[in-house]
Amino acid sequence: MTNHVNHRSRALQIVLVAALFAPAYVAGQSSHDANTKTANGSTKSAASTSTKSWTLPRTPDGQPDLHGYWTSESFTPLERPAKYQGREFLTDQEAEAAQKAGLQRGYDRTYDDPVEEPVYDSTTFGLTPALEGFSPNKRTSLIVDPPDGRLPPRTPEALARPKAIGDRDYIEPDGHGSGIVHADTPRDIGMRTTCVSMSGGPPILPGAYNNGLYIMQSSNFVVLQAEYGSELRTIPLDGRPHASANIRQWHGDGRGHWEGDTLVVETTNFRPEATFRNANPKTLKITERFKRVAADQIEYSFTIDDPSTWTKPWTAIVPLHTIKGPLFEYACSESNMDVVNIMAGARATEKEAQKQNKGVSAAPSSKE
Amino acid sequence: MRLYFRNIVPGFAVAAVLVLGAGGPAAAQGSLAAAQNKIPTPGQFPAYKAPHTADGKPDFSGIWQAFVTADIDVQDHDAQAGPHPDFMGAYGAWPGGQGIVEGGEIPYKPEALAQKKANAEKRMVVNITSDPHRHDTGDPELKCYNPGVPRANYMPFPFQIIQGTDTVLFSYEFARSVRTIYMNPNDKTIPKDAPADSWMGWSHGHFEGDTLVIDTTGFVPYTWFDRAGDYHSDALHVVERYTQVSPYHIMYEATIEDPNVFTRPWKVTFPLYRRMEKNIQLVDFNCTEFVLDLLYGQYSKRPSK
Repeated sequence: MTNHVNHRSRALQIVLVAALFAPAYVAGQSSHDANTKTANGSTKSAASTSTKSWTLPRTPDGQPDLHGYWTSESFTPLERPAKYQGREFLTDQEAEAAQKAGLQRGYDRTYDDPVEEPVYDSTTFGLTPALEGFSPNKRTSLIVDPPDGRLPPRTPEALARPKAIGDRDYIEPDGHGSGIVHADTPRDIGMRTTCVSMSGGPPILPGAYNNGLYIMQSSNFVVLQAEYGSELRTIPLDGRPHASANIRQWHGDGRGHWEGDTLVVETTNFRPEATFRNANPKTLKITERFKRVAADQIEYSFTIDDPSTWTKPWTAIVPLHTIKGPLFEYACSESNMDVVNIMAGARATEKEAQKQNKGVSAAPSSKE
Repeated sequence: MRLYFRNIVPGFAVAAVLVLGAGGPAAAQGSLAAAQNKIPTPGQFPAYKAPHTADGKPDFSGIWQAFVTADIDVQDHDAQAGPHPDFMGAYGAWPGGQGIVEGGEIPYKPEALAQKKANAEKRMVVNITSDPHRHDTGDPELKCYNPGVPRANYMPFPFQIIQGTDTVLFSYEFARSVRTIYMNPNDKTIPKDAPADSWMGWSHGHFEGDTLVIDTTGFVPYTWFDRAGDYHSDALHVVERYTQVSPYHIMYEATIEDPNVFTRPWKVTFPLYRRMEKNIQLVDFNCTEFVLDLLYGQYSKRPSK
């Protein structure tokens, strides 16, 4: 794929993403459609991680150089599946199979949709990093602590906590594989679909697509730009204190420092509408570590510490792999067709139901 | 939604009303004034040499903000009551101000001037459809859309410049807009031309002496220059020049070219001020949240709580 085509694909993804909404993606669907391509793009990946001698690159002022385009794409689940209980790592064979299955899922969700109604063309965005080649993650779970690879239990307080606005799902399953849409107002639809916040971390976790990350550095700041939503985190490295508790940022208030060659970012001051996994925005602290371990890899880990939500802190490791840049502007709200279509659809459905209740001959009410 | 009409103050065809301008002779005079410990004269700065980064480039890092009223109108304008003065009172009123357009007036083609006036009349008419006609009316600022270039630089909000080795990043408080300026012409992974049109454009930069020069193209045709309906097409080409004229000021200049709309290129100039509050940082202005009902209320079943 030439650069040009690649970038066009990224442009296309803006259009595609505007026509879809993330929660609708159902992972694990498999297809036996004759058009389904076989995923074999992962074979070159094993060779892509450099085993040659490698020197940590540095910025002109001597900091480890993290600058570049990265992806958190991974087929490893956050929590360890039961079948891998007691095992931290997959065998090479299992890892390769998991990678293939992950790629296959991407193809499936691409080709499951008819050509005239493309929804997710994973071959142009979701899978691009995988097709460009990155080594399979051999871990059985992203969570490495607790050692069982599972989230620690939630506290009673957290279990009783209502879902944050941003986490609410406007599609209620109807028990028949479909859903009832609740979209009385745009605020019912959720932060992501309305483009209020597409996440962007912290922490950085792989999603279904748009897992690109651009890292740039100056002497006093590190900037982490998520491809999804073009959302920025600008992290000062100058040792300043956190902003007051009354300043609550959409990506929290991050402060960074170097511990040896590892960038450590501590983030607090989260917004109540959009706090990670319904944690307590007042007590949540996320500590992230970025360590460049190869020309094409950053070992990224994060620790979630919120005693009012989880009975103990937990830590996950998400490898970040290089991808070809650049990232493209993700102007979400500007071309958000979803909200119009979802809401207009909900109104049309209601009108239809009303008509059926009153009988077709009854004049539709002109007043809502 | 009701149409909202404002009296548009026509741009007075006055002679050059450059509020401030940097330059050689002025700088020399300024230097003299500083040496004599006098009150500075607006538009004049003492001779100044910008700080440099570790790799020897002029360092523009910092949080900056314009203090002109060009977001209301890039041309000269009187103060006016804002929308709904019946309940917004002075909260909603718009200050007057001297324009930032060199020569005072934007050189519109006649038919384009008519479009600008139509834009101004419908600046608060918001009709969000599921097709590009959603952009037919309504000031993008009102909708919390990316403000485009150069407007992002004179919104009444700060922005941060972060200067890396291969890129310079502009992070704007308003609408969380971002511009990545590609500074390394040898990086073949970065396309020269915009891969697709965007709201904040496709930018390549370089240094001319201590001036940061940014060349931006690849714009969508939907952004405006101000609330007065000043606009452009997708042929917009903006060349910006950032020059530090003191530890606390950047002199900003942008040349705006769009043969579909203007008879010739034109220029805006104004200073940017360094925000000096201790521990200054951008505080999210995620206005998408604030405009949901404005954008989508026509599709709602009931008012949002």
